[in-house]
Amino acid sequence: MDNRSEVPYGTLDLMVLKTLDTLGTLHGYGIARRIEQVAEGALELNQGTIYPALLRLEQKGWITSEWGASDNNRRARFYTITRAGRKQLAAEAENWSRTVAMMARMLEGES
Amino acid sequence: MTWLRVLFSRLAGRGRTPAELAEEMAAHRASLAAEYERRGMTAEAAHAEARRQFAGATQVRELYYEQRRIPLLDNLARDIVYALRQLRASPGFAFAAVLTLALGLGANLAIYRVLDAVLFRELPVRDPGGLVQIQLLEGSDPQRVSYPLFRELAARQQVLDSLFAVSDVGLPAPDGGRGFMVSGAYFRTLGIPAQIGRVFTEEDDRPGAQPVAVLSDSYWTREYARSTSAIGRTLQLNGARAAIIGVAPAGFFGETPGAARDFWVPMSLQPAITPGDRINGAAYSWLSMIGRLRPGVAARQAEAALDPLFREFAHLTVTRFGRDYRVRVAPANRGIGDLDRRFERPLWLLMGMAGLVLVMLCSNLANLLLGRAAVRTHEIGVRLALGAGRWRILRQLLTESLVLCAAGIALAFPLGSRGASALAALASVGTGLRLEAGWHEAIFALAAALACTCMFGLAPAFAATRVDVHSALQSQHRTTAGARRRHFANALVIAQISLSLVLICGAALFARSLWNLRHQDFGMSRDALLVDIPLELTPQAIAHQGALVWPLYERMNLLPGVRSAAVSAFGPMSSLLRTVGISTPERAAQRTDVTRLVCVSPGFFETMGIPMAAGRGITAEDRAGAAPVVVLNQGAARALFGAGSAIGRFVSQKDRYAARDAMQVIGVARDVRFSSAREPFGFVLYVPIAQSPAPVTGIVLRPAGNPAQAAAAARAAVKSVDPNLKIGAIRNYAEAFEGGLGNDKLLAAIAGTFGLLALALCYIGVYGVLSYAVERRTHEIGIRIALGAGRAGIYRMVLGEVSLLMAASLLVGGAGAVAATRALRGMLFGFAAADYTLPLLAAVLLGSAAFAASYLPARRASRLDPVDALRQD
Repeated sequence: MDNRSEVPYGTLDLMVLKTLDTLGTLHGYGIARRIEQVAEGALELNQGTIYPALLRLEQKGWITSEWGASDNNRRARFYTITRAGRKQLAAEAENWSRTVAMMARMLEGES
Repeated sequence: MTWLRVLFSRLAGRGRTPAELAEEMAAHRASLAAEYERRGMTAEAAHAEARRQFAGATQVRELYYEQRRIPLLDNLARDIVYALRQLRASPGFAFAAVLTLALGLGANLAIYRVLDAVLFRELPVRDPGGLVQIQLLEGSDPQRVSYPLFRELAARQQVLDSLFAVSDVGLPAPDGGRGFMVSGAYFRTLGIPAQIGRVFTEEDDRPGAQPVAVLSDSYWTREYARSTSAIGRTLQLNGARAAIIGVAPAGFFGETPGAARDFWVPMSLQPAITPGDRINGAAYSWLSMIGRLRPGVAARQAEAALDPLFREFAHLTVTRFGRDYRVRVAPANRGIGDLDRRFERPLWLLMGMAGLVLVMLCSNLANLLLGRAAVRTHEIGVRLALGAGRWRILRQLLTESLVLCAAGIALAFPLGSRGASALAALASVGTGLRLEAGWHEAIFALAAALACTCMFGLAPAFAATRVDVHSALQSQHRTTAGARRRHFANALVIAQISLSLVLICGAALFARSLWNLRHQDFGMSRDALLVDIPLELTPQAIAHQGALVWPLYERMNLLPGVRSAAVSAFGPMSSLLRTVGISTPERAAQRTDVTRLVCVSPGFFETMGIPMAAGRGITAEDRAGAAPVVVLNQGAARALFGAGSAIGRFVSQKDRYAARDAMQVIGVARDVRFSSAREPFGFVLYVPIAQSPAPVTGIVLRPAGNPAQAAAAARAAVKSVDPNLKIGAIRNYAEAFEGGLGNDKLLAAIAGTFGLLALALCYIGVYGVLSYAVERRTHEIGIRIALGAGRAGIYRMVLGEVSLLMAASLLVGGAGAVAATRALRGMLFGFAAADYTLPLLAAVLLGSAAFAASYLPARRASRLDPVDALRQD
C-alpha cells in the first residue's frame, strides 16, 4: 500500500510560507522541490497546485513576486515572503503546533 | 483588513495573464524534466514523468482563475443581464414601474433640493462655520443697533477676528438695481475676493473717502453684459456718484439667503444717499452685525466678553422699553434673515407628504410584483427543481427591483431639477438660492432608492421563492402557494388606503384653509382700487409727495367713473409702515403693542368700505389748526378703553401720555385685514392727513363702472398732476391679498396634487388586489355557482371582502387623519377646534373610490361560466 498521504487541507499555504521564510527568494519549481525534499517522499504533491496557493498568498500580501531567470535560463517567477507573511507564518505555526500537541495527547490517552 | 487587500488586488486584476501563467508552468515542467534526465531517464520518459507529476494543468488553470475573480460582481453582472431580459419580456410593466418610481422619487428630490437650499446650505464664503451673528436681544426679540454702537463695539472687542454691519434697506439705482450699505470689513470678513477689479475695504469706508460700489455677478451680467468696461463707471445714488471698482464672484449673493444683492456700497456714504445722518446719530436702529470668531473662542465666551461692552455703550443705541436686554452670539454659517424660519414648516411638511406618496407608490409596485411572482411560480419552481438555491433566486428577483429603481432614479434627477425650480418659483423663496445637486442630495437619493427597493422588492421576492416545488411544477391548485401571499397583498392595500386617507385629508384641509383665507370677513369691501405710489426715503421726495396730497385728492374726486376717492400715507397694503407708541392718561404704551399710524384724507372710510363701529370718520372739518382728532380701530379701542365707549376720550402718540399732544377719539372703525390675510389686527390709529402732514403713498378709488377704465383714468389723472411721479401697481384689494397667500397656495397646490395621486393609487391598488383574488379563486367561484350560488351572492362575497379591507383601512387611516388634522392646526386658517368634518368627508370619498374599483372584478366574478371555470387548470 502506498503510504504517501495527500496534502492535508489548509497546510499547503503554511508550507509555502515556511519554505520562503527559510530559503529566501525561490521560483515555483524550487518551492515544490523543497517541500518534497522535506517530506522525504511522505507527501503526494501535485506540483501544479502550488500556483493557486501562490496567487492566494500574493493577493493577501504575504508574499511578493517578480520575474527572473531560472537555473536553466528560462524566464521564471520568483517569490519572496513579506513582513506580513512572516507574522502570519509565526501565528499559523504556533496554532499548528498547538493543534498537533493537542491531537497527540488525545490519541495517547485513547490508546 | 486582509479581505480588503484581496478585494483590491482582485479588482486591480493583479496576478498573471493566462499567457504568463502558461509560461511559468512550462518553465516549471522543463525544470522537472531536466531533473529526471539528470537522474538518468531518457528525454522522452523524463518529459512524460514531468507531465504526470504536473497533473491537471487545465484544472490548475481553472482554480487559478477562480482565485482571481470576484464572485459577487460576476453574479451581479449575470443577474443584471437576466433582469433586463425579464423586463424586456414585459415592457408594459417595466414602463409603468419605472415611470411611477421616477415621478415619486423626482417629487422627493425636488422638495429635498429646495429644503437643502433653504435650510441646510451654508453661505458660499470662506469657512462659513466661523461666522456668527451678534444680536442684541430685548426679551427674545432681536433688535437692530445704531452705527455709533457698532463702531465702538468693532473697535474695542477682543473676541472676533473682524466684525461688520449690514443694513437691509435697499438703495434703488436708476436702472432698477437694488444696492445695500455694508461696513468696510464686509468682504474681508466673508473672505470674498473680486473676480475683476477689487472689493472695497475699511479704507474705502472712511468719512470723506471716494464713493465706490462693488457689483454682484448677476447685476454685472444683467446691466453691463459682463463688460470689463463697467469698472470705472459710476452709479448715481440719490446725492452720491459711486464709482464701480469691482465685481464679486459668481454665486456670491450676499449674507441673506433668498435676497440676492445687486451691488454693495460702503456705509460711510449713508448721509449722502438716505435721509438723516445715521453714521453719527444714535437714534437710528438699522443694522445687523456679523463677525468671525477668533480661533478657539466659543460663542458663550464671546457673549460674556461682548456683554460689558454693550452695557457701556447702551446709550448709543435706542431700546424702546427699559434696559433688560442681552447679547447673543448665534451661528451665521447659513447667513442671516428669516428665509429658513418662514419655510421650515411648509417644506418639512411637503417632504413628509412626498415621502408618504413614495411609500404608497412602493406598496403599489409591491402589489404588481406580487402579481408577477404569481405568474412566474412555474418558472421559479423549475429553477428550484434544477438545483438553484433559494438565496440565489431571491437575489435575482431583488436585482430586478434594483434595476427598476436605478432606471427610476436616473429619470428622477432631471425631473427633480425642474420640479425644484418650479417649486422655488411657486413658493417664491426669493432670489439667489443655489438649487444645485450636492453630495447631500446624492446621499438622499441613494438612500431613498435603496429604501424603495427594499420596500417594494423584498417582500414579493420572499413570497415568490416560498414555493412548493412539487405543486408549482404541477401548476394546478395555485391556491396552495397563495394564502400567505394574499394576506400580504391585503396588508399592502390596507397600508395604501390608510396613507391615502391621510394624504387626501391633508389636501382637503389645505384647500379649505386657503378658501377660508380668501373668503374671510376682511372687514371692508375688497373691490376698492388701490393706486400704489412708491416713496423714496429722501427728504426731497418726502417733501414733494407731501405737497401732492391735496392736488391729487381734488383731481381724483373729479374723475368721471369714480364714485369716491381718498389719499393716504402708510395705508393698507402699502409697503411702508409707520409704527408709533400709543398711550392714554391711564395706560402707558406697552411693549407688546403694535400700533400703525395711518394718515388719511376725508372720504377714506367711505371709499375703502370700512364701516364705523361708533362715532364718525374723518371729514373735511378736521383741518390743520382744528382740534386734533383720531379714529381708532376696534382692537385699539377695546385695549385702551375696555368695555367703555372710546368716543370723546384722549390718546397721545407717545409711549407716555402727554396732554399737549393729545388727540380726541371721534370714531371707532371696524377691524380690517391691513396688510395680509392672516396677521393679527393690532392697533390702528387713523389721523387726518391735514393735521399730521405726510407724503402720499396711496390713492384709493371706488369705481362707479368698469374698474379697468377707472384704473386707466386714475393713472392718466396722476400723470396730469405730476408727470414725473412714479405709479406702482393699480389693483383691488382682493388681488393685493392674493400676494400674501404664497405658502398657503403652495401647500394647497402640492397637497392637492399628492391627494389626487393618492386617490388614483388607491383605486389601482384595490382593483389590482381584487382582480388577483378573483382570478385565483376562479375554480372556487365556479363551484359555488355550479352549486347554485346566485350572482347577487357572488357580488356580496367580493364586496364583503372589500368592506373588510375598507373597515380596517379606515380605522388605521382615520386615526392618522385625525392626528394629521391636529398636527396641522397651527398652519390652517379658520377651523374650529374640534372640526373633523374634512377627515370624515375624505373617508367617504375614499370609500366610494374603493367600491368603484371593486365593481369590475366583482362583475367578472359574478359572470363566470361555471363550466369554463371548472375546466380551467
